[in-house]
Amino acid sequence: MSSAYPTLTARRFRPVTQEAPLVRVALIAFVILVLVVLLFAPLIAVFVEALAKGWLAAIESLAHPDARSAIWLTLTVAAISVPLNAVFGIAAAWAIAKFDFRGKALLITLIDLPFSVSPVVAGLCMVLLFGANSLMGGWLVAQGFPIVFALPGIVLATMFVTFPFVARELIPVMIEQGRAEEEAALTLGASGWRTFLTVTLPNIRWALLYGVLLCNARAMGEFGAVAVVSGKIRGQTATMPITIEMLYNEYLSVAAFSLAAVLAGLALVTLTLKTLLEWRHADQLAATHRH
Amino acid sequence: MTTFVHRSPMPGFGLSLGITLSVLSLVVLLPIGALLLKGAAFGPAGIWSVVSTERSLAALFLSFRLALFAALFNLVFGVLLAWVLVRYDFPGRRLIDAAVDLPFALPTAVAGIALTTLYAPTGIFGSLAKEVGWKIAYTQWGILIALIFVGLPFVTRTVQPVIEEIEREVEEASATLGANRAYTLRRVVLPTLTPAALTGFALSLARAVGEYGSVIFIAGNIPLKTEIAPLLIVIRLEEFDYDGAAAIGIAMLVISFAMLLAINIIQVWSRRRISHV
Amino acid sequence: MIHIEIDEISKTFGATSALHPVSLAIPSGALVALLGPSGSGKTTLLRILGGLEYPTSGRVLFDGQDATGLTVQERRAGFVFQSYALFRHMTVFENIAYGLRARPRRSRPSNPEIARRVARLLDLIQLPYIGARYPNQLSGGQRQRVALARALAIEPRMLLLDEPFGALDAQVRKELRQGLREIHDTTGLTSIFVTHDQAEAMELADVVVVMSMGRIEQIGKPSEIRARPKTDFVREFISV
Repeated sequence: MSSAYPTLTARRFRPVTQEAPLVRVALIAFVILVLVVLLFAPLIAVFVEALAKGWLAAIESLAHPDARSAIWLTLTVAAISVPLNAVFGIAAAWAIAKFDFRGKALLITLIDLPFSVSPVVAGLCMVLLFGANSLMGGWLVAQGFPIVFALPGIVLATMFVTFPFVARELIPVMIEQGRAEEEAALTLGASGWRTFLTVTLPNIRWALLYGVLLCNARAMGEFGAVAVVSGKIRGQTATMPITIEMLYNEYLSVAAFSLAAVLAGLALVTLTLKTLLEWRHADQLAATHRH
Repeated sequence: MTTFVHRSPMPGFGLSLGITLSVLSLVVLLPIGALLLKGAAFGPAGIWSVVSTERSLAALFLSFRLALFAALFNLVFGVLLAWVLVRYDFPGRRLIDAAVDLPFALPTAVAGIALTTLYAPTGIFGSLAKEVGWKIAYTQWGILIALIFVGLPFVTRTVQPVIEEIEREVEEASATLGANRAYTLRRVVLPTLTPAALTGFALSLARAVGEYGSVIFIAGNIPLKTEIAPLLIVIRLEEFDYDGAAAIGIAMLVISFAMLLAINIIQVWSRRRISHV
Repeated sequence: MIHIEIDEISKTFGATSALHPVSLAIPSGALVALLGPSGSGKTTLLRILGGLEYPTSGRVLFDGQDATGLTVQERRAGFVFQSYALFRHMTVFENIAYGLRARPRRSRPSNPEIARRVARLLDLIQLPYIGARYPNQLSGGQRQRVALARALAIEPRMLLLDEPFGALDAQVRKELRQGLREIHDTTGLTSIFVTHDQAEAMELADVVVVMSMGRIEQIGKPSEIRARPKTDFVREFISV
């Protein structure tokens, strides 16, 4: 029997929900090419440049007092601002997820606000509020407690730019979990704190860790806001990213990239942990089932 | 008592809301308030007189224009990347999926010096570009690349879950009605992705408009040509010209919010088209 | 009106066989039920007819001509999905017009012609006033009928329905059975529907094909099957 129709063989058949194999291969190749040029190459370049004069030079540059002071300052800033933001994030998520009150939508919008403000503008705001020639700043400086060009300003600026991370992750998770478990604990006679520690916290621990991880990565890497408020005093208010800038502008390439490599290493650790969390605990994270 | 909060057996409302509002005020609201207060003191005319100088206008125009281009690139590429990651299986897919978030994790200053090294005329890609007479670093192309870098993950991450949820039957239905694959993608798949893609676009745009760290190294920072608005704020601050810095800062805030509002309106409209309640 | 032949069709997914070679001739204009429990291969067979799956072996013949190699688009089979798969972002009107608008420009009807055809289909499914609504604003029964109208809009050569009443509650189900019968009789299309509900198959179909484990157990008119079940499986399945 002859066929009047163009024929399709089993080998040529593809599910209707797929693109032609050639299209698929081309798209995959294109996507990988762009990612290599834009993402992977810069990452590799950091390590290549750091090791341009060998391991020894890289390690030596990290042992320089300015580098050590920068590392120490960055760790200090993160150690203060990340826990504070975590506490804030938990409090905000608790209030928003467990209670109904007027102005809730506005509160959520305000928490997200820092994402749409330039870090440089954030730093500018800090300078205007706390700078030596502002009302509050002048008084604080007179009391011997300067904020701008000192550690508190760096911490505040860092908190501003990392502000939404923990709250944004926790709020959807806690809303989804509802309040039934907490109410059960309360009826069983548990105190409010006990309920929080034994019921709520275990339920949100992976989401909390996830938020803290992202918050920390941003806190240690923040540049724009810190550049404005820190005054960039070498050995005193220069964080790692600021020191990288100064070294790079002085053409101390190995030193700049060695410090950058430390931060890039931190970024890789963050990505790895984040990915592990997404694989193992996807059901308990907001990021992996948004929308 | 008024109905500010519904009565609830849950404890800790006062404490949690108290912490939330205190920290929010101290870290975010008061500082932004200080900037807005400064703006109110100038008045619109005062702000305009600072912003309308040739250099400020050029910087603002450059920042918003390149941010828009970068966000548009990321919109198209982000949807494509999300599609490839969800629908195609190929070796290294999981690695690439994880690596998409690199711009979120890598400090901007690190990205900035790395991109500059690669795209400068002496770098790997820069020298290749030079062969064809194309200068990337220290031109607006360099800024564009940095802005694309920092905004890369947003669209992909918002669109990915939506693609995962598309029912295969809907695409099959389109095919049984005679539509070819391209028509199905254009008329059935893309409209479904629009609201999420716009969310990602807005995030990417907001990020690119304010970006500083990754840009200043690669930009060249020539006034009127490759000087972005955030850099001009920093320069004004270094000159202790707080009023000048504040005026540009307020202009950026106002334009950003206007743009985000516009995107939000488009989004509400497109979402309503998709899910009529 | 076409008659469909299924000639020694088999389908394996990896190591599992969804269909052992099955053969079946469907007379033109008949309303046929593929009846069986889940996993019996009935949906796979329907999807092979619609061109959504490719058989591992065997042929499909439309009016005696080999149609195995036809793409989905070329088959022109009106397919109604179990979930209806309506396009959420389009009005009912646009859903029904979709297949006409998707045609290449040469054979695409003009806009007024499309409007006329859609209106006629809305009349056929007895929902003349819902063209401007979106799928989310419809009841389950209305959605099913819209899906049917959308499938009919392409002037299909046959109608294939996958559990067309599966997502509906008992009351609506009964009403719509009659509706499908009427539409079938009006259009005269050779129609095949998949169901796991023997009462539905027996009441509605001219011919019932009982399937189990990828094999055809019995083919016959409802009365024949009820009177003379061929195998133990058929006897048990129709006695539920």
